[in-house]
Amino acid sequence: MRDLFANLYSRVVSFFKSTEEIGEQTKEVARNRLKLVLMQDRTNLTPAVLERMRGELINLLSKYVELDKELLELNFEQEGEQMALMLSIPVVRAKTEEEIQKAIQEDEALKNVALADDEDENEEDEGKKEESSEESEEEVNEEEASEDTKEETAEKSETEENEEKEEEVNEEESSEDTKEETSEEPKEEGVKEESKKSKKGNETEK
Amino acid sequence: MTGRVIVITSGKGGVGKTTTSANIGTALAKAGNKVVLIDTDIGLRNLDLLLGLENRIVYTIVDVVEERCKLKQALVKDKKNPNLALLAAAQTRDKSAVTEEQLKGICEELKKKYDFILLDCPAGIEQGFQNAVAGATEAIVVTTPEMSAVRDADRIIGLLEAKEEIESYKLLLNRVRPNLIKENDMMSVEDVVEILSCKLIGIIPEDTGIITSTNKGEPIVNVEKSLAGQAYRNVAQRIMGEDVPFLELDKQENPIIAKIKDIFAKLKGKV
Repeated sequence: MRDLFANLYSRVVSFFKSTEEIGEQTKEVARNRLKLVLMQDRTNLTPAVLERMRGELINLLSKYVELDKELLELNFEQEGEQMALMLSIPVVRAKTEEEIQKAIQEDEALKNVALADDEDENEEDEGKKEESSEESEEEVNEEEASEDTKEETAEKSETEENEEKEEEVNEEESSEDTKEETSEEPKEEGVKEESKKSKKGNETEK
Repeated sequence: MTGRVIVITSGKGGVGKTTTSANIGTALAKAGNKVVLIDTDIGLRNLDLLLGLENRIVYTIVDVVEERCKLKQALVKDKKNPNLALLAAAQTRDKSAVTEEQLKGICEELKKKYDFILLDCPAGIEQGFQNAVAGATEAIVVTTPEMSAVRDADRIIGLLEAKEEIESYKLLLNRVRPNLIKENDMMSVEDVVEILSCKLIGIIPEDTGIITSTNKGEPIVNVEKSLAGQAYRNVAQRIMGEDVPFLELDKQENPIIAKIKDIFAKLKGKV
């Protein structure tokens, strides 16, 4: 008799559970939307600024590795008290040493040009990509122009402007260093980061 | 064109102001009106979430007021309905970021191009409430059949009556549970209306669908079969001046049968 009731009970429970699972579909949606919104609230990063950050990161990293830009994922995760910026980009192909050296040289050359002539800020590699995301950048510029960066940005070239924004955007990410000193260290870091992230990216794809 | 400016307010928090704003706004837009929803809850914005527009906001009402952008630029178009736009609140500031005059100015400008401007008011009776009410000429007071909500609604009605600009206000009774009313464990619609002596504009039944629709960021008026959705659509019709009878909620069947039906409906949906 007791078995009968236990059986009945478990059946009823499983019956209700199965209906709850339907609810979980939207639960997952809510969870993800909420996470994203809270991240935006906590970091003061609007979707437009995030998009800009994405673009800048792609430009920076593609100097050293060929990336799948479409699959880049940029997330903030809370790890205890520490907020972590998680970047996941599948690596399409490792660049050859020559390509990397070339990128560095181009970068150096540009920096010299930028130093010599403030107005000349055409960048062969980055210029094109930045054009595509120009719209969102303009918006952001307008937004932030009111802040005390106004004077400085007016004087500085586009690349330097970007660096400033990134600084504001994330204190932990010292992108300025990687850009200014195109020495060996930051490059290596970049590659390491990429390899880690590519693994992650592949996992998520699966 | 001169649009109507309606503030949706309640006094008490959590009674469904934002849900009501999102749904009435969407329903009015679906009926062919040009509608702007303004979130005046600066610092605690949520209307964007209920409409599923949280990732499209570039500028907020504070950006408009501080002249970082034009009003038109800050209006976020709804995903589905081009007649519906949202002017979002800033999340990083507080209620002092916008003044009554500024909000009035925004409403005046929007009136020229839109049929309805709905202001989602913050909870409380402080500056945020004052700001939201300043721009409006009509009000919808949202309450639930609970003591605290009714008491706060009464206070709000008193404040609205003292405002010269507010020409009319109506009551929207939210989260009504006919089964509880039947068992005499909840004040009935008639009870609340009698206590507040205020005209009704809608009775919205408690509906679990509200939770899932909020999760998805899609107002429940877009769900054809939902009873709450129907109730909100009726409210929109009444705002437009049509005489729509109130839904008869007590006609609903026995709760157990309803629950079983609900489960079967869900199972069917799953298969």
